[in-house]
Amino acid sequence: MRCPWLLCLLGSTVCPALAFAQDVDLHAYIDGRLVAAPGETSWTHGGLGKTRFGDGGTDAQFGGAGIVGTAQLTPALLALAEIQFQTTDRPTVSVLEAYLRYRPVALSRWRWSVQAGAFFPPISLENDAIGWTSPWTLTPSAINSWVGEELRVIGAEGHVEWRGDVNTVELRSALFRRNDPAGNLLVDRGWSLSDLTSGLGSRLREPNATGGDGEPSPASRYDPFQNIGSRIGWYADMEWHAPGLGRVNLMRYDNRADPAAHTASGVFAWHTWFTAMGASTDTGPIRWIAQAMDGATVIEPTDGVQFKTGFRSAFLLAGWNRGQWRPAVRIEHFSTQGWSDAGTPQGEHGNAITAVLNWRPRDWLRLTAEVLRIDSTRTQRVDAGLSPASTVTQVQLGVRLIY
Amino acid sequence: MRCLLMIAALFLGNAWSAPAAEVVVHLSDGRGHPVNDAVIMLTPATAAVAKSPAGPPATYIIDQHDESFIPYVQVLRPGDKVVFRNSDSTRHHVYSFAAIKTFEFVLRPGESSPALSMDQAGIAAVGCNIHDHMATYLFVSAVPAIAMSSHDGSATLGHLAPGRYTAQVWHPQLHPGHPEPIQNVTIVGDTDTVQLSITLSLLPDPRMSMDREHLDY
Repeated sequence: MRCPWLLCLLGSTVCPALAFAQDVDLHAYIDGRLVAAPGETSWTHGGLGKTRFGDGGTDAQFGGAGIVGTAQLTPALLALAEIQFQTTDRPTVSVLEAYLRYRPVALSRWRWSVQAGAFFPPISLENDAIGWTSPWTLTPSAINSWVGEELRVIGAEGHVEWRGDVNTVELRSALFRRNDPAGNLLVDRGWSLSDLTSGLGSRLREPNATGGDGEPSPASRYDPFQNIGSRIGWYADMEWHAPGLGRVNLMRYDNRADPAAHTASGVFAWHTWFTAMGASTDTGPIRWIAQAMDGATVIEPTDGVQFKTGFRSAFLLAGWNRGQWRPAVRIEHFSTQGWSDAGTPQGEHGNAITAVLNWRPRDWLRLTAEVLRIDSTRTQRVDAGLSPASTVTQVQLGVRLIY
Repeated sequence: MRCLLMIAALFLGNAWSAPAAEVVVHLSDGRGHPVNDAVIMLTPATAAVAKSPAGPPATYIIDQHDESFIPYVQVLRPGDKVVFRNSDSTRHHVYSFAAIKTFEFVLRPGESSPALSMDQAGIAAVGCNIHDHMATYLFVSAVPAIAMSSHDGSATLGHLAPGRYTAQVWHPQLHPGHPEPIQNVTIVGDTDTVQLSITLSLLPDPRMSMDREHLDY
């Protein structure tokens, strides 16, 4: 023992680091698909197609990859970051979520926590798997597709829960900024059914034909998570859940954006508000999930002239927990309703059905076959020289490796 | 004289020996699968037939392995102690806000809590504030005849005297608010073995097993 002081120094330096490392967790996934795409160009490439993939044909596609890292910095303080890589529109690395959560232990029925950073608002009852994906389907519902595309909370949330013997009630509310463009896609493109989730660093593609003149514009993209104006948005959410009965939540969101504000490049703030409801329950091995959303978004391109677009959607999903096999079916409806510059009604309505078979032969492997059929009518399609009605089918065979 | 002593010993031995009857309970769910981790209690109809001397207080270890508490349910006598041991490579923050005992321990990997005395009868749900999906239950009871069902769904309650009993079952996944399953049991002879089958309607296991797809933060 020639240098005991050196061992002591090493011990005092390395041991805390090792102890810290023991509370660091990494998970990852990579996803590949064989996709039989509808003939229409997907919205992800500037078209009006509602699916993630388009232009026909059957091709191998990269579904995405992601890493989730967590660090339990103290027993009460958790840091989480989730980074993804996508190539569907163009190769992009983005941050889906990154936040700190402080949740001290509570020796009573009441427990509180706060979290700050960038995170998803608590809307989706589908997307509770790694990379904000759904364990039931490859393609989330129209509601949760939009949540993944345009909604992110960059702010702080307070959360309090009361834990009863049977019932648990949770209340949470957040103040946030940098979600001012939310609503733009619902108006310019309409609803979509797509698992192309955006993050900090993503740029969302707008349809090439967005105006009423029928002239295609150059490819334009925008950052969905930016400040336009200086207003602070909020949401409040209440959830009840009980073992054996299920869960119900009710949420109100309002980004309070100034509809007249815009960037120098012409990206407008959209004042968007909505009410979202969700419920899930189990009947034997069947999990039922239902969500509904009803809201509106307003833009004021010129002083005193506002355009308001209402939007609503609802779905019902039934998933069968059969161990390694997990079939699921989802039906949904979606619509928007607004007015054109000329004062004529504009909007869309449509229905979709998704049938899925999931197989998890190994903990690290998920194989999925999905058929998605969307039947919709959208007035703005006429501006692009298309029939207002569209019926498309997308078939995907997916392989997801999970670490 | 020697014969007399032997006869007397035999007589006294029979007269003072512990009762030897037993009840074997078989628990299954609605689909016929055996149910383990259920607590079965036999309460005598009259206090006179209760026979089961209480032993000295014991200490039980509740382990944490793969982000699960092991066992899921632990039966204790009032005065027994529990030690929470962390066999994981991550920290756990063990706590309970149960009416019978509130406590919290931050346990580093390999660390054990001090022994915690559970003096009051009742049920203490225990969780981890870091990993919300972890749960274990401390079932503290002074009922003399009590047992846990094993993986084959059976539990044996021995050393019972003849008489009438009420068999009561508790499991963490019984439907909340529903009455606990109860059956009457009659033991006639000193050495009887009574077989009892009980079907339980259980909720799905709320403990999330380690699943790479689901991250519960």
